[in-house]
Amino acid sequence: MTLEIQNLHVRTEDREILHGVDLTVNRGETHALMGPNGSGKSTLANTLMGNPTYEVTEGRILLDGEDLTEADPDERARAGLFLAFQYPATIPGVSVANFLRMAVNAGREEPIKVKEFGQLLRKNVELLKISDDFTKRYLNEGFSGGEKKRAEILQLAMLQPAFAVLDETDSGLDIDALRIVSDGVNAMRGDERGFLIITHYTRILNYVRPEFVHIMLDGRIAREGGAELADELEAKGYEFVREEVAGRAG
Amino acid sequence: MPASPDFVEARRKAGLQAYEAEEVPTWRRSGFWTTTLRGLDLDALEPKRYEEGLPELDLGDEEHAALIVQRGANVVHTDLVDERIIVMPLEQAVEQHEDLVREYFGKRLPHDEGKFAAGTAAFWTGGVFIHVPKDIQVEHPIQVVWLIDEPGTAQWAHTLVVVGEHSEVKIREFFRAPDFEGQALHSGAFELYALPGSQVDVAHYQDWGRGQVYDLSTRRVEIRRDARVKWVPIHLGGRLTKQTLDIITAEDGSDMKHTGMYFTERDEHLDLFTTDRHEAGHTNGDTVWKGVLTGESRASYEGLIHILPKAPEVDTYLQTHQMLLSPKARGDAIPSLIVEVDNVKASHGGTVGELDEELIFYMMSRGLPRAEAVRVLVEGYFEEVVQRLEDPGLEELVRRRIAEKLKGAEDQVREFIGERAEAA
Repeated sequence: MTLEIQNLHVRTEDREILHGVDLTVNRGETHALMGPNGSGKSTLANTLMGNPTYEVTEGRILLDGEDLTEADPDERARAGLFLAFQYPATIPGVSVANFLRMAVNAGREEPIKVKEFGQLLRKNVELLKISDDFTKRYLNEGFSGGEKKRAEILQLAMLQPAFAVLDETDSGLDIDALRIVSDGVNAMRGDERGFLIITHYTRILNYVRPEFVHIMLDGRIAREGGAELADELEAKGYEFVREEVAGRAG
Repeated sequence: MPASPDFVEARRKAGLQAYEAEEVPTWRRSGFWTTTLRGLDLDALEPKRYEEGLPELDLGDEEHAALIVQRGANVVHTDLVDERIIVMPLEQAVEQHEDLVREYFGKRLPHDEGKFAAGTAAFWTGGVFIHVPKDIQVEHPIQVVWLIDEPGTAQWAHTLVVVGEHSEVKIREFFRAPDFEGQALHSGAFELYALPGSQVDVAHYQDWGRGQVYDLSTRRVEIRRDARVKWVPIHLGGRLTKQTLDIITAEDGSDMKHTGMYFTERDEHLDLFTTDRHEAGHTNGDTVWKGVLTGESRASYEGLIHILPKAPEVDTYLQTHQMLLSPKARGDAIPSLIVEVDNVKASHGGTVGELDEELIFYMMSRGLPRAEAVRVLVEGYFEEVVQRLEDPGLEELVRRRIAEKLKGAEDQVREFIGERAEAA
């Protein structure tokens, strides 16, 4: 039961961004993917979800053995993949509650019962300390950065995917909001679910401790290790990885 | 038909002269838009009369204060529930309420504003007259229905509404036709006078179906001192629509809330010119128009705010948005402003664009198939204006109709967005 990324090469219109990425996340595991700006982290996140802006030229994405490399984003979602966006879209005219209901129903044969949906929503709204009127507002319209991130995690909590990719969910959050979001993520961790937490900073990893840390540089995984790698990075910065990689190459 | 009073006959005669003197017009807009009636065979059309009776209708609301239905050239059904008000064929009102009709009839609708306005002044039959006497609060809407049942019909229409001082009323006008093969004409005149202190909520719901219905109409709303009119023109179908829609704050303290929407498909052609005309000071305006285009349709919306010299302290804005859902659709949405006095607050803005691929990706990433993502996004886009209707029955009707139209346009939308995604 795994999310496997095999030798992934990805390009946009003008250039190749990922030059062969391998990464495996098993259910029950939490991985952190770290890297400086422009290293290809968000490209990986978007490619996993099937953003048509990015083209896979080589390699594969497998979810529990099923090849999703060419699948449409909605098929990936229904297969159990979720992406919390770094910059979530604003959807005018569609309330948070309505959107959630549609998203929940998209993954089900029979539409969810009104009462059951209400209970699920209430539970998660409380978990994420969201105010009641929040779910009546149009999705992300006029939301602060922190509210947008919280809306992403609310969707995660409602959809209960097998694998969740969090693309810089921590950036732009103050400490209180970061703690709430982290508590929410921790509450969802378990044997049946895998996480890939993409971040520029080590801050969120103090709240959501990963078992594995991968460092991405220039479109490749440059170093891998356990949670201690994040601590080392915190102490030494990305430059040390870069120098190390350069040293190895030389 | 019995002889009408002199003022009606005089207008018919003047209208006929103007109609005969004028060529069938072509309207050129913004340099590159042309609305032409070349395809319309006017001579083949005639007023058709029908027997009395209530045809089957879906009007959203279940209850009404009054219902009046004109089919082709004559009124076939009138049901007056709230007996404090007057709702009857205009033909009848010119006799029975001669003084009242004389005071308002054509006051804001000159007979010589072009060939079809003249034609309507000359040829109107049946017609609708609504009068709400002063200090009356009408609970349920007054429903007016214009039906064209078969090709070859010419419907020359006139609606006159006078809402008395401090009265409150909701009026719903429906324009309907089945999906027939062939041409028909609706040439309409609508005038509404909201007397001081009144509150009027008026919507025009146009859905002429897939037949070749040409709709050439002028609608004008005059708002007197401290009165307020909420105006909602909705266009959801018609082969060619050319309308002039003017709302006028005529006296101090009057207020307009103006909300429009349209959805064009296939080879439909829509040409709208709206004016928010502020003739008096201390008046407010709030206008939002939104449209969606599919197929090979054309839609031009031009919205003008005109503030006259004797109208200081006006606070008004107009915004217009247009969304293209097909590579072959063409449209424009042009807001403009003429201000002839200092000391006003007026702003306007407009956008024309396609559905954002990033939004579709976002929706799909939550498990929604592309077609459903598009449907939800377009419905969401309209929702802002739908909410402004503040009328659950009408809101439901509009939502349902837009959903049906989107379903019809699904393949085209998918193809369009697919093409764009590949090009990206």
